[in-house]
Amino acid sequence: MVVGLSAATLQGAPVVTQDVDLWFENLGEQKISRALQEVGAAYVPPSAINPPMLAGAGAELFDIVIRMDGLGTFADEIKKCVEIPLGRQKLKVLSLEQVLASKMAANRPKDKLTIPVLRDALAATRSVKRRAKKK
Amino acid sequence: MKQRAQFQDAAKARRWARRLSVRVEKILAANPRADRDNIRHTLILLEQPPLERLQRSLIRGRATAIFRK
Repeated sequence: MVVGLSAATLQGAPVVTQDVDLWFENLGEQKISRALQEVGAAYVPPSAINPPMLAGAGAELFDIVIRMDGLGTFADEIKKCVEIPLGRQKLKVLSLEQVLASKMAANRPKDKLTIPVLRDALAATRSVKRRAKKK
Repeated sequence: MKQRAQFQDAAKARRWARRLSVRVEKILAANPRADRDNIRHTLILLEQPPLERLQRSLIRGRATAIFRK
């Protein structure tokens, strides 16, 4: 599932990000290593000095997230995710409401900068959704 | 002919901008503490495909990171 500011930007929030954060239920899944192999990348398990990482040219833009502040378990959050069409696939994306909740819970200086933007984006997207429902 | 097409495009752009302003004002009326620019930018971004939004965000985010280094 795509999480963090990439998830927010996919849903229309006017924020910038440096990478795409991915939250997996199980990092040991075969499908993940196969997909990484296809793009010339690999999973680097966590060590004493490094968090779990993706390495290799095809994975430069991606980061792994193993937990999200202020949110439930992966199984809880995936039920509330939004699905964004991507070619023939549907990309699972953490909802804007939950991105905002996680940023508020993390409350790091960089999160504090994005909270008002995410809040306003949520107001705008809700208004657009209400308008679309009326039509 | 070309000039006429330009006039039509300009008129279309003005109509789009007017519609956008009306929607921004409506959202601000319901959310008085919201920032006008955030609302306007979100509405503009929602007119673009999701992947284009992500691509623009990454380009800007990574460019900013390079300048900071």
